[in-house]
Amino acid sequence: MTARRLRAAVILAISAVFLLAWAFPIIWSVLNSFKTDSDVLAYPPKLIFSPTLGAYREVLFGSGSILPNLVSSMIISVGTTIVTMLMAIPAAYALARLRFHGKKFAGFYVLTTQMLPPVGIIIPYFLVLQTIGWIDTYQGIILIYLSFSLPFAIWLLVSYFEDIPLEMEEAAYLDGASRLRTLWRIIIPQVRGGIAVTVVFVFLNAWNEFLFAVVLSGNTVRPVTVAMFNFVSVEQTLWAKLAAVSVLAMLPVVVLGVVAQKQIVKGLTIGAVKGGGRR
Amino acid sequence: MTSFTPTRRTLLKTGTAAAALATFAPAVLRQAVAQGADLAPYKSAKIDWQQTKGETITVAVIPASYFENLIALAPQFTELTGIDVRFEKIPPAQIRQKSVIDLTSKTGTYATHAADPMYYALYAANKWVEPLDTYLNDKSLTDTAWFNFDDIIPAWRSANGINGKLYGMPYDGEVTIQVYRKDLYDAKGLKAADTLETYVSNAAALNAPNDRVWGAALRGLAGAGQNMYIYPSIFRQFGGDWMKGGKLTVNGPEAEAALAWYVDLMRKYAPTAAANWNWPDIADAFSQGTIASYIDAHSSASVINNPQKSKIIGKVAYARWPKGPSGRRTTSIWNWGFPINAALSEKKKKATWLFIQWAASAETQARTAHRFAGPTKRSGVNRTSIWKDPDYIKLMNGFGPNFVEATMDALQHDTDVDWRPRVPQWPAIGDTMATAIQSALSGQATVKAALDDAQRRIEPMMRG
Repeated sequence: MTARRLRAAVILAISAVFLLAWAFPIIWSVLNSFKTDSDVLAYPPKLIFSPTLGAYREVLFGSGSILPNLVSSMIISVGTTIVTMLMAIPAAYALARLRFHGKKFAGFYVLTTQMLPPVGIIIPYFLVLQTIGWIDTYQGIILIYLSFSLPFAIWLLVSYFEDIPLEMEEAAYLDGASRLRTLWRIIIPQVRGGIAVTVVFVFLNAWNEFLFAVVLSGNTVRPVTVAMFNFVSVEQTLWAKLAAVSVLAMLPVVVLGVVAQKQIVKGLTIGAVKGGGRR
Repeated sequence: MTSFTPTRRTLLKTGTAAAALATFAPAVLRQAVAQGADLAPYKSAKIDWQQTKGETITVAVIPASYFENLIALAPQFTELTGIDVRFEKIPPAQIRQKSVIDLTSKTGTYATHAADPMYYALYAANKWVEPLDTYLNDKSLTDTAWFNFDDIIPAWRSANGINGKLYGMPYDGEVTIQVYRKDLYDAKGLKAADTLETYVSNAAALNAPNDRVWGAALRGLAGAGQNMYIYPSIFRQFGGDWMKGGKLTVNGPEAEAALAWYVDLMRKYAPTAAANWNWPDIADAFSQGTIASYIDAHSSASVINNPQKSKIIGKVAYARWPKGPSGRRTTSIWNWGFPINAALSEKKKKATWLFIQWAASAETQARTAHRFAGPTKRSGVNRTSIWKDPDYIKLMNGFGPNFVEATMDALQHDTDVDWRPRVPQWPAIGDTMATAIQSALSGQATVKAALDDAQRRIEPMMRG
């Protein structure tokens, strides 16, 4: 074996170990979701068992169905993503291109909002929403989610906007296009990859959020991350059902990941090649 | 197993169905459910149940069968009082967080919630909840003879009181008992341990990891309600006293001996993973036949007797906590109680009290326990009289030999109000102790170092 091959083999082996460690919880959940309660507890853990859809049937169509929760999660995540992008794209463009008073401060401010520990701001958020009657409402949760998704999206998008050569824009102006038209027709198509990456991350953050959701939601709006916890009762953990819900909650994430994969990779490499630094 | 056959699926079905019904069902359906019920036993109370008619209150509970049963009966309460109850189910860790946020912000979101007895000191110090004595003694709100407050398990009443005032009405509770595999014990000629010493020697005799049987297991998971649930009992049994000369002390010689016993048992005779187990995990392992004995809540009996996954039904017996060197046995005095949120309007407070009175009454306790129509019957009823009811005893005896006796003895003789330090700083103290115990269990720190460190951290909390 040549040194090169040996090196490749070592790298492969190390990757395999990491991959296994990362994939194990997912594989474990998927397997358990198809087991009966007694199979879940069997020792040694059964790799071969007669799979059942019982847990899925129960969590989807049983009396404690999590379908409303999946819908809740979807409304929150899609809503957050749309509003975030509508506001983040112009904001990021402005930060990247325009010269205005307090620009540096605005850029810094956007970043600092990311530095606050969420636990510290839950109570003020709760109070604000309670005062305006938005506890346990979609608009309330989306509003709060904007507080972390918007700075994140702006921060991510700025670097993509900065990577667009200024000359392209100037060419558009020479042809008589307005700033908005230029943004829409020239710039946005150029940063498609970056926008796709941002959309995916914003969606995922909203979909996976738990801390704010558990405090600010109630019976009406209850995302799946919160509902899932009811399968861990004080009396017992309903492993098979918990696994089934986890797999169902993972599905949209996986689908989105696969669909957007090409864009993500492209988006990531653009950032990597060009250094990704801002200003 | 006799008449008691809870299964997980049916448990979940009825529970959640009832919850869904209570929460979402239109009023018409609620009426229909309520009509079948006989309200006469409630109407014999000499109070006007309808005095706050038209009010709506929100009650936060945890997802547990004993609350599901109550939720299922809620339409009867609405029929009786004209008060609408909305239930919100929140997991145990989050219910503390959410209710504290609600109480600090005085928003009055939850009229009442399933409260942790360890939090009343904090609640009372901040006047977040109402002293219940006012309501108990108000003739227009409470028929003293009918409600018969003294019938409620004394240990739980005192657990929920601060300086002689009651802040939370016990609804469902538990005691800590010894659960053991009678078949394994008999095979070796062992008896349920009477002392902590024997408990260890029993565990040693039965410990056979190669055959996948470990001698014992206790909750090891770090948490104020996990390892700091089991450790305080051991601490008290070793003669420990939380307050020494008016100062909270967690690192005295008794504490060292108690933690050393706990660590020794866990490291020698429990599965390694038990250091991270909470009680459902212990019950799961026990039900698979891999643990010879554990000491935990008596309510775990329903899980280890679940025919859908248990392999040891009919092989289980029960006993009280083994006594410690001090000669004392100390059970948990854990119970879920209902306080009244002080941020409510006077009328809502009254409505909440009517709800609490209804939920804690002997009639509702019986209707949610042995007289409940669904498959899961509660094992944590709050009434001494029900624990003496032959029907209830018969049902509870289905869990195995000596279950009722061990539970009743624990309830009557092993309770200890100072089981855990009841101070407003408890939430932070509980967490600190939990971390200390975990570091000792995992071998990261010696028993002494862990406790000394905890003491160092706790002192400023008590000053502040």
